[in-house]
Amino acid sequence: MIKLVGQRLLAMVPLLLIVSILTFSFTALLPSDPVDLIIGDRGSNEQHEQVRERLGLNDPFVTRYLDWLGRAVQGDLGTSFFNSVRVTDAVLLRMPATLSLTFASVLISVVVGLGAGVAAALRPRSWIDRLATFGATIGQAIPNFWFGLILASVFAVTLRWFPATGYVPLGENPLGWLLSITLPALALGLSTSAALARQVRSAMVGVLQQDYIRAARAQGLSSRRVIFRHALKNALVPVVTVLSFQITVLLGGALIVEQVYAINGIGSLAIAAVRQQDIPMIQGIVLILVLVVMGVQLATDIVYGLINPKARPA
Amino acid sequence: MSAPTLSPTTATGTAATTRRRPRWRASTLAVVIPSALVLLTLLICALFAEALSPYDPLQQSLMDALQGPSAKHWLGTDDLGRDVLSRMIHGSRIAVIAAAEATGLAVLIGVPIGLFIGYRGGWWDWITMRAVEAIVSIPGIMVAIVIIAILGSGLHKAMFALGILYSTAFLRLARSVVLTEREEVYVKSARVIGASPRRILIRHIFLNIAPPLIVQVTLTVGAVLLAEAGLSFVGIGVQPPQASWGTMLNTAAAYMELNAFLAVPPGLAIVVTVLAVNLLGDVLRDSIGRGVRLPAATPPRPRSAAIARKGTAPLPAREDDALRVDGLEVMVSPKGGDPVPVVTDMSFRIAKGETLGLVGESGSGKTVTGLALMGLIGAGGRITAGQVTLDGTDLLQLPPSGLEKARGTDIAMVFQDPTTSLNPAYTVGSQISEVLRIKQGLSRRAAWDRTVELIDRVGIPRPAERARAYPHELSGGMAQRIAIARALSCGPKLLIADEPTTALDVTVQQEILDLFRDLQDEMGMAMLFVTHDLAVAADICDRIAVMYCGEVVETAPVEQLFRDPRHPYTAGLLSAMPHGASGTPPLPVIPGAVPTPGHWPTGCRFAPRCAHAAPGCALPVDLTPGQTTTNAERLTRCIRATDLTLEAAQ
Amino acid sequence: MTDPLLQIEDLTVTYGGRSLLGLKTRGVDAVKGANLTIRPGETLGLVGESGSGKSSIANTLLGLVPASSGRMMFDGTDLAQMKDGYPDVVRRKIQAVFQDPYSSLNPSMTVEQIVTEPLKIHATMTRADRRARAAELLRMVNLPETHLPRYPNEFSGGQRQRIAIAAALALQPKLIVLDEPVSALDVSTQNQIINLLYERRDATGMSYLLIAHDLALVHHISDRIAVMYLGHIVEEGPADRVYHQPAHPYTRALLDAVPLLDPERQRARRAARRAAPPTDLPRIAVQGCPYRHRCPRAIDRCRSESPRALAVPGGGTAECHLLEPSGTTPPAQQTTPGAKGPASNTPPRKEPA
Repeated sequence: MIKLVGQRLLAMVPLLLIVSILTFSFTALLPSDPVDLIIGDRGSNEQHEQVRERLGLNDPFVTRYLDWLGRAVQGDLGTSFFNSVRVTDAVLLRMPATLSLTFASVLISVVVGLGAGVAAALRPRSWIDRLATFGATIGQAIPNFWFGLILASVFAVTLRWFPATGYVPLGENPLGWLLSITLPALALGLSTSAALARQVRSAMVGVLQQDYIRAARAQGLSSRRVIFRHALKNALVPVVTVLSFQITVLLGGALIVEQVYAINGIGSLAIAAVRQQDIPMIQGIVLILVLVVMGVQLATDIVYGLINPKARPA
Repeated sequence: MSAPTLSPTTATGTAATTRRRPRWRASTLAVVIPSALVLLTLLICALFAEALSPYDPLQQSLMDALQGPSAKHWLGTDDLGRDVLSRMIHGSRIAVIAAAEATGLAVLIGVPIGLFIGYRGGWWDWITMRAVEAIVSIPGIMVAIVIIAILGSGLHKAMFALGILYSTAFLRLARSVVLTEREEVYVKSARVIGASPRRILIRHIFLNIAPPLIVQVTLTVGAVLLAEAGLSFVGIGVQPPQASWGTMLNTAAAYMELNAFLAVPPGLAIVVTVLAVNLLGDVLRDSIGRGVRLPAATPPRPRSAAIARKGTAPLPAREDDALRVDGLEVMVSPKGGDPVPVVTDMSFRIAKGETLGLVGESGSGKTVTGLALMGLIGAGGRITAGQVTLDGTDLLQLPPSGLEKARGTDIAMVFQDPTTSLNPAYTVGSQISEVLRIKQGLSRRAAWDRTVELIDRVGIPRPAERARAYPHELSGGMAQRIAIARALSCGPKLLIADEPTTALDVTVQQEILDLFRDLQDEMGMAMLFVTHDLAVAADICDRIAVMYCGEVVETAPVEQLFRDPRHPYTAGLLSAMPHGASGTPPLPVIPGAVPTPGHWPTGCRFAPRCAHAAPGCALPVDLTPGQTTTNAERLTRCIRATDLTLEAAQ
Repeated sequence: MTDPLLQIEDLTVTYGGRSLLGLKTRGVDAVKGANLTIRPGETLGLVGESGSGKSSIANTLLGLVPASSGRMMFDGTDLAQMKDGYPDVVRRKIQAVFQDPYSSLNPSMTVEQIVTEPLKIHATMTRADRRARAAELLRMVNLPETHLPRYPNEFSGGQRQRIAIAAALALQPKLIVLDEPVSALDVSTQNQIINLLYERRDATGMSYLLIAHDLALVHHISDRIAVMYLGHIVEEGPADRVYHQPAHPYTRALLDAVPLLDPERQRARRAARRAAPPTDLPRIAVQGCPYRHRCPRAIDRCRSESPRALAVPGGGTAECHLLEPSGTTPPAQQTTPGAKGPASNTPPRKEPA
């Protein structure tokens, strides 16, 4: 297992490098001159030159990249062009809200998706199966932010069970945190629940037709045991892969759902950065999001190795 | 929002299953017709938006702002008093343009690159795939946001961003299809006839990429619609005042507390459209056979509650019978068809310590018979007649829990492919000790010790160590020994072995057959040995029942069957065996092919292929001892059994 | 004797050996120093268990896998030198029929497209001529012309294999590689395909390389037989000699492992055989004779020295030290596989202890 983790960590280095090159060169393509953005049109040519020099914009591309990378490795992603806030600080300040939302919806998706998927797979063609499949198909067609609007209008505006907007940090008030995160997490988790339910169902239906399931039943093991001990573990193998991918999707979806509930997370930071063409901020957000995604991937790789002996390095 | 992909199970479906005439059944039509109507409506709205809209979508009228539905404004008005219905209709045009632009671009970028790197491989492949992985590891919306930051916002620029984003999905799909297909034997055949790489890619492989590609297109269209709405909603997609469903929702969100209805029409439009596209995609995926294959529906219960007896008169009981099967009939529902019989009028006996061989070609019903005895035919099949008596108990009359109890302890089974009949997720030892703990109530410790003993008994060196191995770490022969150890762990009275050596090499087969013999001598169980190989049956069996088209055509002690076959089919099989045949080609053949279930002749099922067929063969034939002998061990289903002289094997 | 059509000399096929990053890794020898000869009109049966390398020889001969070393002289050209694929003149002379008729036909092409594909590549023919030729080819394999517009999934395994044979015959090749052509088929259909293959061979005078795991089957229809064990050709010779008087202990083990069709004799033979318990020793020995770990007759010399191919009385060669004139008694003895010859009534042989 340690070997597996080591291999995975090693494989992440080139990936991170490629992401950093991509991000850096893409943001270098931004059409506007950052200097204009910072000091406006009024500044003299001299001022312009000073700012350019200060930002290192006169250096060749590769030098700028290596310089940026060198500082990034030390945790310094530069400062915003606009408010002189350190990018790392800004992102880390916003991160807890986005992560809370993402992982709450992961939890919802796993519970709903596994439950519905297994229930449907056990009785193919039954009403449970049809209901779950139909529900999943609709769930995947509903935009998360619209579902968020509907939830907010019913449960927050009309019924007033939950706050309509805002985010309460967990450390500040756990109950408040829970209330503030429930509706957005439901809205965000809907389509992933649906996707997982479909994946679980198809994996379970496939696994239940395997020889080893028949063989386990031939040994007189109870259906319960066959399903939950023999089938589920194998069915989870492809599900874990999909879940890993879906967490990335959720992280992206969170950026939009945050807007519905006026949660000050990464989403508003990113959108503002794009509007203002705040290059260091965009670069920083992308890099940190990728780090989060890689953390998730490492975790799923470990889970994958645990449930699938074939994936362990010999 | 991120690039949708075909799930791993669907993307790698073999090409052999791709071309299938779609059969339009009522349930399918119930999905296809409404979905197609939705998309058609959308298209008409998009094309004739000006003519269909009651108002100019941009015309403001602050006096009428934020009204609910009325006769004047069917869907009400927005914050600037613009007609919602008109904006909806114009929004559908945006939706169509968005879907077409982004999906088209994604296909145009993704497919050629995917095909190229898939076929070319090497460095091209490595570098491209790392870049794709990098893009995929950034949340999709962030990729779109960065690209929009470079290009600026607006419909076409946003769709360009989505096109690039989703091209990764098409790239990976095209690449994986090429990688799978190039290993297919038909590609090997094409290379052997001298087709150039270009010809193979275009003429042989590309045809097979089309079905999954179409499915991926539907997935992408749905995803693009959702993504466009999302980007417009947060204000970096379509820009106001242009009407798109996403910008309308943006407005709706701002006025949620004043007029919640504003959110309903555009939201529903998105949901219904995406749903229609996705449902069509599902139908397409199922019709090309790349979806999950569901087990067939179980045929209905026979009308009378008690399972009927019919056919051949019951065989006389013997003292030492372990198993008696009388008049067994099994029906199976093929996909979307009426139930057809796969086993009929099946009767045989097995004594304690005896081995009966059930011999037949594919489709003869021999495997189904074995599974029926276990109560494991599975969904899609049902026993419709007969009795299965094991040591005095009719297994077919047992409740499910009783049968479950009998399995493993009284009756056990070894399957054909040892590498798939062991659970890949658990060590082999744990799979044996599990049975011992549950069926015999042994403690964890005792069960493990017994497991190691059993593994030792089936002739595996270093048993304690091997018990901790996973199935994929064992060779086929070793895995089959484990499967045998597990089947025999609770000392069953009957062991059913379904082609247990077919997947193994011939020298390993010999070792496994020896093991079966030794274990039977030691434990004294009755054995039902299912095989297609008469030579294996000759080696291991005491008696043989030859099956053809779901029924036993001849049963006899093994020496008699080989020396003096009575049924023309048995004789035909014997002479067709490689070591039975004499000399050089032409080798003896049975003309024609085995008919599939549902297409069996009504009379003697072998008659159309039989050189000795007579007019009387048009009627169903019973399994009888014949006129000259009353030997109950020797039964034949042939009206000419006594007047024919058939060649023996030697 | 006529000149050989195909002469394989000292052929070695190695898989792997290069990782993605261009680093050398140790490859696996699928075939090691193989020698084979096929004459015009002759069938060579190549027999072995899974992993023996018999399919690797086929794939190398077909140009699908490069040879690592050695020569493959075919009709005057050395195929082993052609690393970048065969020129058309060679291609059209070697065709193949593969094992699985369900995956060897492109599911999205019609029978006509499948059968005429070789003609489109190698011959300039009008559409009408090609169609006529396709109909003729189907008739050769006893299928009606009406099957031409249909797709492979509409046919049974036996019919598909006929279609594959028709495609292989299209260019009138000199050699067809038959890779387990009937092992996926039912017993009652197998002989139909074999008879068809032989009828075509006799009509055209082409040669076959028949790859199979079943010695009995191969014996009936081959002129010569070669037996492979884990990459090595351990024995080669006239079909009858190899089948009735196997010289290599492995060939004998293979023959003995196939149950006899006669239950009484089979039982007697089994009683005489002391089933060796499975061992932990690898199937292949790295040093000396590759078969020595499993060989009941291994001597000290087998451990240290690789056996050379030695002539066997009755024709052919075998790689076994026991054949040395100075060695112990030659292992060639009458055995009793199958139903052939007067030998079939001799009592089962006893292995020397």
